[in-house]
Amino acid sequence: MQLKRRKAGRVGRAISAISATLLIATAASCENSAVAQDFYGLDKAGRDNFGPGIAYTEFDGALLIYQEAGGRVQAIEPTANLAIHGARGQQLTLGAVADAVSGATPNGAVPSDRTQTFVTPLKPQGSSTTVTSASGGSTVIQLPPTPGQVASASLGRQYTTAPNTLPMDKGFRDHRAALTAGWSQPLGWISEIGGGAGFSREEDYQSITANVRAAKNFNSDNTTISLDLNGEFDSSFPFGGVPTGLSAMNAQFKPITTRHKTQLGFVLGLTEVMTRNWLMALNYSYDSQKGYQTDPYRVISVVDPTSGEPTSTLYENRPEQRKTQSLFWDNKLAFGPTVTELSYRYFTDNWGISSHTVEASERINLAKSWYIEPNVRFYHQNAANFYRAFLVSNAALPAYASSDTRLSRFDAITYGAKIGFRVSGRSELYVRADYYTQSGDGHPANAIGQLRGQDLFAGTKAAIVQVGYQWKFH
Amino acid sequence: MVTALVAAAACTACTAIGPRPWEKDLMARPEMQLVPYPLQTAADEHVYFSKEASSGGRGFAGGGCGCN
Repeated sequence: MQLKRRKAGRVGRAISAISATLLIATAASCENSAVAQDFYGLDKAGRDNFGPGIAYTEFDGALLIYQEAGGRVQAIEPTANLAIHGARGQQLTLGAVADAVSGATPNGAVPSDRTQTFVTPLKPQGSSTTVTSASGGSTVIQLPPTPGQVASASLGRQYTTAPNTLPMDKGFRDHRAALTAGWSQPLGWISEIGGGAGFSREEDYQSITANVRAAKNFNSDNTTISLDLNGEFDSSFPFGGVPTGLSAMNAQFKPITTRHKTQLGFVLGLTEVMTRNWLMALNYSYDSQKGYQTDPYRVISVVDPTSGEPTSTLYENRPEQRKTQSLFWDNKLAFGPTVTELSYRYFTDNWGISSHTVEASERINLAKSWYIEPNVRFYHQNAANFYRAFLVSNAALPAYASSDTRLSRFDAITYGAKIGFRVSGRSELYVRADYYTQSGDGHPANAIGQLRGQDLFAGTKAAIVQVGYQWKFH
Repeated sequence: MVTALVAAAACTACTAIGPRPWEKDLMARPEMQLVPYPLQTAADEHVYFSKEASSGGRGFAGGGCGCN
C-alpha cells in the first residue's frame, strides 16, 4: 500500500509549502485532481502516469481456460474488474466472474478388476436446478419404492466403470456467477480503511463474503501494517439432497436439501520496502470454518479384506470444524530490466494437513513494449488424518473418512510463462500458459488384493491458459 | 508471530530500514506492486483452492465458491 502514496522529504515539503502559498494566492480552487495531474507528466518510458494524487480508472478483463488431462474437468472463466481511483486515495472496485465447468470427475471409489456400477439421483424432467444430467454413458433406472421417498424421484441414474479404470462421474456440469464490490480510502491517521462484499451463486452452491480492512503506513511509507477481517457464509444444496455421511450411495432424493458453512478469519500483514530494489511482505492468516464441509457427491469404497474387491460404496464424511493457519512470505526484487518474485507459504490446519508452497517468477522487460515472465511453483502437502483411499469391510467405520485425492499426501509442480505487450501507455495485453501436475502414491503399502495392481492416486494434470487486458484511463 | 509483527510495527528503529523518498523510482514501477495483475492472481488462487487442501496466505483463505 505504501506504493500508492508518495511522501515528500524535508526539501520536498519545503518546496510544497512555497508552492502551496503561491497557488492559494492565485486560485482558491487549486485543491482538486486536475491540478494534481499537472504535476505528473509522462515518465521516462513514455507511459502515462497514473500514480497517487491522480483520479483514474482501471479496467481489467481476462479469460481463463482450464483443461484437465484425460477428458476430466474443463472450465472457461471470463472475469472483469473495474477500479476507480480518486485523487485522495479513495478506491472503488467492482468485479464480475462467470464460470462454466464440465467434464468427468473422480467419484472417490477405487478402481477394480471388475466392472463397477454406481447409482445417483436423476435430474427430474424440466428441472433447471441440477449439476448432473443423464449423459456421458449413464442409464436411467427405476427405483424400488422406499418409505418416505420423494414422489417425483422414482427414477435414478446409473453409470458403470470398466475394469481397471478410475471410477468417474461423467455427468458433472456447473455454472457460476459472482459479483464483488469494495471501497477503501484514507481516514484521519489511518492510511487505508475499507470494506467489501461478494456474492457467488452456482447451481448447487451459494457463497456470501464480506471483509473489512485497515492499514497504516510508517517510516516514510516504507512500512505498512494491515489487518483484514473476513467472513463467509456458504450454502450447499446439492442435487439430490444432502446425503448422510458414511451411508450407502443410492439414487434416492435425500430429505435434507441444504447445509451451511460459516467461515471467519483474519490476515495480519507487514509490508516493508527493504531497499531501493527489494520489497517484502509477511502475512499471518487464521481462519475458522464451521459447518458442512463434506463433498456431497463424493464416495468411498469399502473393500473385502482379502481380495480388495469393493463390496459397497459409502458417501464420504468430513469434520464440521476446521481451523487453518498460514504464514506467507513474499519478496519482489527489481534489478535492471528484471523483476524477480520469490514467495514461500507454510500452511497447517487441525485436520492434520500441512503444506509448503514455493513460487518463483522472473519478469524480463525486453526492448520496446514486450516482456516475458517464466514461472515455477512447487507444492507439497501431507494427508488429512481422516483421508483413506478405501475402507475395509471387516473394520469398524471411522467417524470421518474421505478418499478425496485433494486431502491426500501429494506433490504438485506448476511451470509456465507469460508474455505481455504494452499496447500503449495506457493499456497492456498479456497471455500466459501454465501446466500443473500432481504426483502422489498410487500404490500405498496398505493396498489389499487386487488393489495392489491399481493406481490409487487420482491426481490432476491440467493446462491453464489466460488472456488478459488492462486499460487505464482518466 | 503476532508478537513479532506488533514489535516490528512498534519498533522505532525501523525508520532506518528502506530507501529515502527520492529513491523509490523502482518501487513506483507498476510491476513492483505486490499484486500487479489481480485477475491472474485470482485465477491461480481459484485453481489451487479447487485442487489442493491449502488456500489463502496472500489473502483470505475462503474460496467464495463450492469449487472444492
